[in-house]
Amino acid sequence: MDKRNDKLGWIFSSPYLIFGLVFFLGPLVWSLYLSFTDWDLIAPEYDYVGLDNFLKAMATPGVQAAFWVTYKFMIIFVPLVTAMSLAVAVVIQGLPRFKSVYLIGFFLPYLSSGVVASLIVQGFLSYNSPVNEFLRGTFGIQIDWLGSPLSALFIVGLILAWKFTGYYALILTSGLESIDKEVYEAAAIDGVTDRQRFWKITLPLLYPALYTTLILSFGVTFGIFTEVYQLTGGGPNFATNTWQMEIFNQAFTNLQAGYASAIAILASLVTFISIFAIRKVLEMWGKRNGWV
Amino acid sequence: MRKKRIAMLLALTLVCGTMLTACGGGGKAADGTTTVEFWAAPNPPQQAFWQEMAKEYESVTPGVKINVSPIKESPSSEASIQAAIAGGNAPTVAENINRGFAAQLSNSKALIPLDELPQFQEIVSSRNMKGTIKPWVFADGHQYVLPIYSNPMLIGWRTDLLREIGYNEPPRTYGEILDATSKLKEKHPDKFMWTKGADLADPTAWKRWFDFFLLYNAASDGNKFVEGTSLVADDKAGVEVLSFVDKLRQAGGILSQNATDPFETGAGVFTDIGPWTFDMWKTKYPELKYGENYELTLPPVPEGMDPADAKTYADAKGLVIFRGAPEASRQAAAEFLKWVYSKEEHDVKWFEQTNLPPARDDLTELEGFKQILAEKPELAPYAEAVSKGVPAMDNPKFNEIQTLIGQEAFNKIIRGEIDPQTGWDNMKKAIEGELQS
Repeated sequence: MDKRNDKLGWIFSSPYLIFGLVFFLGPLVWSLYLSFTDWDLIAPEYDYVGLDNFLKAMATPGVQAAFWVTYKFMIIFVPLVTAMSLAVAVVIQGLPRFKSVYLIGFFLPYLSSGVVASLIVQGFLSYNSPVNEFLRGTFGIQIDWLGSPLSALFIVGLILAWKFTGYYALILTSGLESIDKEVYEAAAIDGVTDRQRFWKITLPLLYPALYTTLILSFGVTFGIFTEVYQLTGGGPNFATNTWQMEIFNQAFTNLQAGYASAIAILASLVTFISIFAIRKVLEMWGKRNGWV
Repeated sequence: MRKKRIAMLLALTLVCGTMLTACGGGGKAADGTTTVEFWAAPNPPQQAFWQEMAKEYESVTPGVKINVSPIKESPSSEASIQAAIAGGNAPTVAENINRGFAAQLSNSKALIPLDELPQFQEIVSSRNMKGTIKPWVFADGHQYVLPIYSNPMLIGWRTDLLREIGYNEPPRTYGEILDATSKLKEKHPDKFMWTKGADLADPTAWKRWFDFFLLYNAASDGNKFVEGTSLVADDKAGVEVLSFVDKLRQAGGILSQNATDPFETGAGVFTDIGPWTFDMWKTKYPELKYGENYELTLPPVPEGMDPADAKTYADAKGLVIFRGAPEASRQAAAEFLKWVYSKEEHDVKWFEQTNLPPARDDLTELEGFKQILAEKPELAPYAEAVSKGVPAMDNPKFNEIQTLIGQEAFNKIIRGEIDPQTGWDNMKKAIEGELQS
């Protein structure tokens, strides 16, 4: 019986296993191999260059910028998207009816194309857009939204927050739904205020769902590409140059597939270590507060 | 038994796979038909031209099939070609290839040297392009690209705005432009002289063709920028260009943030214009009329140079034949190209349909061209300036080099972060390092 179950288990999981082997493990091994070569994507020859690609990558301004830009995006994006999705979840939870309709409404940006969203924002912020015409005409203010490092970072962070708010709100709403109503009723009898109820009951009991959204949102910052590619091209002066931008530029613009693979391997290592550290900090924070 | 069956299945799959691979790629099919996979520029008029040519050629040449399809532009036509080569699916011929990209491809042995084909010399002489093709020789002495069009980029001027500030003619030297800028700012503080928009502050490599190289080619009288692994840029001209840009910025004359059609909507006075723009203007900005509210000139030059003689950047592109295509297809492609370029009416048709000046020495002499230029006078300055156009550098590292021009010098000058001499020195150092790596 056990052997039969084992076989069934293998059969049912084999599609995912095959998919993983072909589309994840295979490319990963291939990329690792390429990172030690100088392959230019089209030439028939591959020359082994040892660790040269890795050493070169760590010394270039583009890669160094990608490293720091990711954390800058984290500082902007994570608090913003967490606060917005939490607010949406709490408001929707309090609605008497049509909760799912509102949730779908907030979820729609997640399904939208990053290219389209970026193009709309680009038009909205262009020099001769109605917004800028108004600012110039009424207050004499002239802002180069995508041309200054800080505002460019904020704008990309805002687009991402807009896109992911509905998705995380969905997770948080289900977290809120799972909190036992009796806890709130008991608190109400004890005369707990709304603020105390949120900080002392809702937040601790919501922590597992919040933990999930926090880890997901930290992860997003390591994969930013479309918005940056479309809006800033990594500029001004590398201010928005992400890992993905750097990998794309080196592989598909400069035709340095081997070098780009080395950057991709470095990016994976940085992502893995960062997410691992963030997870540990969040777990410690949760334990210290008695939330997990 | 079971193992045997699996082995049979594997063998069958391999055989079928090999056969399918052999059948693909545009070689000679079982019925004797030779297929040429032709990738055209993703621009409808260009595609239409090649489809028409292919149809006509097939009707007079039995046994040859020319499949014309557009190069996918996602994420860029260059990346699509690279991906196709890497995947073993390269076409036989592709157009829309500039010298820089061709240098990358030839460096990776992806192209055949066209000058080794017997049809090549016939094309050069029958198309009357001996002079035009000279600057297309690569560093190794071969010709990898057959230029189709050589389009000298020109500067478009809003003459209506210029007239408002007392100019009947566009300013042509740096000093004249700076004088005009102060007059413009007095009358219209919210308008700009150079209205290129965010491209000026963007480090993307190809954008430097349409700002830095346009000015550098004019200031240096077409001096080369890189030769082999050496930076041979004209220092004086380079610093002059950056100083001019810096002064223009200080005078508030540059719009360097994202803007929607700033030249067309009158946010400023000048920008670079390619002949592909005019068809779009016909539908979107019909109020723009050549000779009435805009004019075209060669790029501005430093004091002491003759603006009428200025060189400019040539947005010149051509055809390449890929080494990976089957021999029969490559031969058929060469014959097809010989046929297309043996008739001048085909080049006339090309010019008529695409507005892009064919890469010929006799552009202003042929009757067919004269007729088109009479109907579309805005194209005449392009035809006249063909000999002034300097094509892109033929260095396989052109992307890295042009990115460094932006990152180390041009973009920083536009944002006022660095002085021209320091920017130029930093750029040179970075490019020299890249060329030696």
